[in-house]
Amino acid sequence: MIKKTIIIDNQLGMHARPATMIVKAASKYRAEFKIKKDDTEINGKSIMGVMTLAAEYGSSLELIADGVDEEYLIEEIAELFASKFGEE
Amino acid sequence: MKILEGIPVSTGIAIGPACIIERPKLNIERKRIHPDEVALEIRKFHKAITELGEEIDHLIADLSQPQDNRDILTTHKMILQDVEFAANISRLVKNELCGIEEAINRHFTNVVNLFNDMENEYFSLRSSDYEDVAYRLLSKLLNQKSNYFAKLSENSIMITKNITPSEVTRVFNKNIAGFCTEGGSKNSHSSIIARSMNLPTLVDIQDLLQMVNDKDLLIIDGNLGKLIINPDKKTQDHYQKLLAEEKTQLNYLQTLIGKKCVTTDGKVIKLMCNIEIPEEISNVVKLKSDGVGLFRTEFLFMDKNRLPSEDQQFEIYRDIVKQLSPDPVVFRTIDVGGDKLSGLLNIEHELNPNLGTRGIRISLKHIPIFKVQLRAILRASVFGNVKVMFPMISTVGEILRIKEILKECREELKTEKIPFKSDIKIGAMIEIPSAAITSDNLAQECDFLSIGTNDLVQYTLAVDRDNELVDEYYIPHHPSVLRLLKLTADNGYKYNVPVAICGEMASEEKYIPFLLGLGINEFSVSPGRLLMVKNTIMKCNYQKAVAKTNQILKENTYIDVMKRIEEFRL
Repeated sequence: MIKKTIIIDNQLGMHARPATMIVKAASKYRAEFKIKKDDTEINGKSIMGVMTLAAEYGSSLELIADGVDEEYLIEEIAELFASKFGEE
Repeated sequence: MKILEGIPVSTGIAIGPACIIERPKLNIERKRIHPDEVALEIRKFHKAITELGEEIDHLIADLSQPQDNRDILTTHKMILQDVEFAANISRLVKNELCGIEEAINRHFTNVVNLFNDMENEYFSLRSSDYEDVAYRLLSKLLNQKSNYFAKLSENSIMITKNITPSEVTRVFNKNIAGFCTEGGSKNSHSSIIARSMNLPTLVDIQDLLQMVNDKDLLIIDGNLGKLIINPDKKTQDHYQKLLAEEKTQLNYLQTLIGKKCVTTDGKVIKLMCNIEIPEEISNVVKLKSDGVGLFRTEFLFMDKNRLPSEDQQFEIYRDIVKQLSPDPVVFRTIDVGGDKLSGLLNIEHELNPNLGTRGIRISLKHIPIFKVQLRAILRASVFGNVKVMFPMISTVGEILRIKEILKECREELKTEKIPFKSDIKIGAMIEIPSAAITSDNLAQECDFLSIGTNDLVQYTLAVDRDNELVDEYYIPHHPSVLRLLKLTADNGYKYNVPVAICGEMASEEKYIPFLLGLGINEFSVSPGRLLMVKNTIMKCNYQKAVAKTNQILKENTYIDVMKRIEEFRL
């Protein structure tokens, strides 16, 4: 299992489009994927989960992947956040 | 008085009371199922999910939708296929023995509440996506279709969130004054129908349903794209006057129906319709045009789950041909970019679809599909006057190849003893500069040429006509375009092949005298514009138009061209 903490860096936060991108990317991998914000942990492959996190600009998220391809999963998701989902 | 902005679908003014049409409430039974029924309920669930998923896929594949809408649809599909959603449903059904509808309803109600409780409005608004998906899924499962248009009264203005093409056709019989939708796009099927019926329509109006109340007095200004709610006296008077003028003009235009389309000096011009969907045919018949000069066949392929079979196509073509016989129907074989067919064919994503595999290039790459369409057209030819033309022709070699394929189709039909006319006329669309430049070669291999000005302008000037950033470069009267038109018309004349024009230029009042002056004697325009075009042609003198056209062709800049055009209109 690997964990990585990231900060949301795009102004609009994790709204529908970024959430869609995350779920789409994560679903390609076999590893389990959870996102944790404060005390809430959700399934990162569920759009409902990701959207209900309501993660705003500046919030801190913990990405948790567990499985054979966990490294690749975390790498791709972290890249999405770093690219600000192509918004700016 | 409040004013909202929207995208005008057709010009024209409408004044009338608002009539808000909302989706009917769903009746969800609260029932307990028997444990033996669990598997059945879960199966129903998966079937509905699969079907709705496919429907959404086809909406996403429709590129006439703005990218934003398609992004939303992608999100909707994910909501539908959410692993947690499926898990929760199966839990509710198995453990609590809920009926599937109630389980779905409970799930989404919870989710929507979760969103509504969020403090950040930007996030809480997203609950509407879940409501949308839930509604569609449940109405599918409940198979609920009720007549929620019953409350529409004559001369009212319909206000609704969205409207499907089948709903538009139902609404038309109600004699409403116009309609507005919160969603929608300019070139959706619903919009096409509205345009061809000249019904004042605005789409994509933000917050429409929150701003309008039932029975509010509304004015649609289809020229400016405005919806005026509860107008003050002055505004009302102003629009009443405009509407009266419009009605007078419209009544006058109606008197042209059935009259022969001739110039003041007696030259007969063929005036035909451009059609996108079969539903428009009844209108074409009413207008007594000289037939259909462009039947776009794309609708057959666009929102379908599978390719239309030969019989399906044949039946549609036959019905149209029969209704218009003995007037001609010119079928244009499929003209879309591969991007729009990616759901149907295995086509790779292209960086620049407008310059990629589209039009005839698709057909020549997928010959079995092309042959199905050609055979269907050949079979329909028995029932009237059928012609066929090919889009995106760039070289005469393509026409030669098409002729070989047509020959194969004829031979096959002959062997199968299926009747067809052996002499249907074939034509090339002139919409790529290379085709216009080599129109002498094409004229020798074709029975007619048809100029598609929209693409011809786009490709000659290297301007994407859907890109607002380069709007100012889209100039139909650019001398380069006019010279290509001239060249094509001359080559047609030289080889005794009729040249028709079917792009938007043909229905713009200011260009009509110029086009007449080129010697073009077949115009094909959208049904909504037909009578206006007829009126303009009937006011022109052909001999004078020829002289003016020659003068316009001598101008060096498009600014001078426009000056001349304006001068000649006076």
